[in-house]
Amino acid sequence: MIAEVRHRKISLFIIMGLLLAGVILMSLAWGQVQVPVAAMFGVLGNQVGLPGFQNMALTPEQTAVIWHIRLPRILVGVLVGAALGVSGAVLQGVFGNSLADPGIIGVSSGAALGAVTAIALGVTANSIYYMPFFALAGSVLAVAITVSLTMRAGKIPVMTLLLAGVAVSMLLGAITSGILTFMNEYRLREFLFWMVGGLDYRRWEHVYLAVGPVLCGILVLCFLARHLNVLVLGEQEARAVGVPVAALRLILLFIAAVTTATAVCVSGTIGFVGLIVPHMMRMLLGPEHRILLPACALAGALFLVGCDTLGRLIIPPAEIRVGIMTALLGTPYFLFLLRRSHQGGES
Amino acid sequence: MMANEQAFVIAEDLSVRLGHKIILENINFTIQPGEFIGIIGPNGAGKTTLLRSLRGLCPFLTGSVKVNHQPVTSMTDKQLARMMAYMQQDVNISFGFTALEVVLAGRYPYLEWWQNEREEDRQLARKYMEFTGVTALADKSVQRVSGGERQRILLAKVLAQETPLILLDEPTANLDLVYQEEIFRYCQAVCHQGKTALIVAHDIKLAAKFCSRLILVAGKQIMADGKPEEVITVPNLKKSYGLQAAVFTNPVTGHLDIHTYDSSAEIDTSQIVHVLGGGDSSGAVIRMLYEKAYRLSGGVFQHGDSDTIVARAFAVDVLTGPAFCPIDEALGQQNRTKIAAADWTVLGNLCYGEQNLDNLKAAFEARRLIILEDSPIGERDFTGGEAANLYSQLLAKPEVTVMTTPEFAAWLNRLSREKERLVDEEKQDQNAGTESYRTM
Repeated sequence: MIAEVRHRKISLFIIMGLLLAGVILMSLAWGQVQVPVAAMFGVLGNQVGLPGFQNMALTPEQTAVIWHIRLPRILVGVLVGAALGVSGAVLQGVFGNSLADPGIIGVSSGAALGAVTAIALGVTANSIYYMPFFALAGSVLAVAITVSLTMRAGKIPVMTLLLAGVAVSMLLGAITSGILTFMNEYRLREFLFWMVGGLDYRRWEHVYLAVGPVLCGILVLCFLARHLNVLVLGEQEARAVGVPVAALRLILLFIAAVTTATAVCVSGTIGFVGLIVPHMMRMLLGPEHRILLPACALAGALFLVGCDTLGRLIIPPAEIRVGIMTALLGTPYFLFLLRRSHQGGES
Repeated sequence: MMANEQAFVIAEDLSVRLGHKIILENINFTIQPGEFIGIIGPNGAGKTTLLRSLRGLCPFLTGSVKVNHQPVTSMTDKQLARMMAYMQQDVNISFGFTALEVVLAGRYPYLEWWQNEREEDRQLARKYMEFTGVTALADKSVQRVSGGERQRILLAKVLAQETPLILLDEPTANLDLVYQEEIFRYCQAVCHQGKTALIVAHDIKLAAKFCSRLILVAGKQIMADGKPEEVITVPNLKKSYGLQAAVFTNPVTGHLDIHTYDSSAEIDTSQIVHVLGGGDSSGAVIRMLYEKAYRLSGGVFQHGDSDTIVARAFAVDVLTGPAFCPIDEALGQQNRTKIAAADWTVLGNLCYGEQNLDNLKAAFEARRLIILEDSPIGERDFTGGEAANLYSQLLAKPEVTVMTTPEFAAWLNRLSREKERLVDEEKQDQNAGTESYRTM
């Protein structure tokens, strides 16, 4: 029976990996500019420097579309999706609540405040790095405030943390709105564009910016998965077997927050990935985080790139931004979860 | 001092405050290795807090706890977890972890932070799961098992921690009788191997049966500490639990037993009742009278007779003679003295033979006599008519009332109700008196 379960889990990983590869290729091949599949592979091989691809006849336009427009967009999508999926799973574990998501401790509102500050100051035109850094600083600040409000005598009570997160989010949201009221319309538009997360116009710079923190964050979180398992059994149980509960919570919160913030700053705020992906994976694979976290990374990437591709294909030539797509697909599922948990509570 | 040097656990002058409420005050005790200690006491007495303090999970207001010569406050989380395993009450495990995953959590203190569970950890987990009988549940979600099964899974986890000290907070809650005993029996077994166990128990009888020592916690303090028979006494039960109880050694099991009864009968009637019984006839009568708080004496019963056992259980001043021997003159005399001292006497539904005929004769001395007649005297007379003769003479006396045992019980209830009513009326009269005084 155990062998059977293991077999099922491995095959799920393989299926998700294949699906991700498929979605990536599909996303590369399809779009407003028609690029033949052979040319697409040609561009990839040529850029990577594989032997045998050097002699292919490729137009500069094809190279630009595949290598400089579509591929970075997809890679950012993979990174952001993986980051949101893993952070969501970790935060749900830390809070012991399967409805928690990265937004809940102030990450999103902090990032928004950072972004709007950058736009208000007018520094966004100078370099594309300014806004991400402001957003990152804002979310780290928000998480720091939330946690320091909650810390009492070396303990981080979960309920207080949730409430403090909500309070901090509301405060930062108010400040953001305050700044917005003084902005001119052009800048307002820029902010709105960022608020509804999207992957369009992502360039290699964005990939370089996100790849380090996101991969490190995911790796460390996967490393700490066994500790998270014990933590999820409950604070008392965890302390009884010698888990340094407060320190572990702090570390996990911090890493998850930085990972999420990095994702948010390259893509804007994208909701529901951090909520739905861990939830689905937990239903399919169980709560063992050493399996769950890698699966969430894979599934998050798959979901986000899938949503983005769909958004590009539904009403060409217009695009539906990925933040809208995830919300459109995510909300019904979220409501379904909510309804089911209510029914579970009554029976 | 010698004892202190060997002691495995030392709690000194321990006080614990939760919020603004002091839960424990001036707690002192030492525990030797191998002891199996039951912590008993009423709800909210601080049993759980005591256990948590030992584990270093509650900050102390004053005092210290040392385990194996080391203060718990100076140990690291993992040191503590390798020294003591703690099973709390009402564990709620969400997210659907399987039983095996939960038990493996018990191996956490033995792993470095980068390590995964080793094969030996899995083997240990399986070994203890087999012990508590949950091997079949290994791959099942803990949320989907019954309360008792979950308790046994958690016990396996605690055992997998392989600590010299085991702290269990009401592990027998939700368990079937079999598993309740099983857990106590296992603890007893591991204590014989040199481990030390503390168990918070609701079931005093089970605790008394298995534990080598009991600590009774009540009113923020340790009210009693010692062998079960030293701790479980009528005054201790009354003081800590507010429980009216008789404590005795159960002749069937040979274990300490407790009979509890309605505490509304606390009103001391200060009436003395003598019971003439023996031969299995009067146990129920003695119990009824005892629960109505009459002062009792009894005689002359035979050694080993169930009436004698009941009388002893309720600490009744009882006269006994050897079985199958006629009541001798000295005992007969003592019996008559007690009858004379009693306000009234109850003659049970006895069978009469040569040995106990003197009880019937002694009944003539009673100031007021109640004869319980559940079956006709003819069926109970094995003296060739002598007893029946005496019996009819008794019946002719004016101070004699005859009733069946159920009638007697009803009559006792009526009496006690009347008495309560009288007491109430008296109180009301007093209240009315003070009120009229006020209006004046």
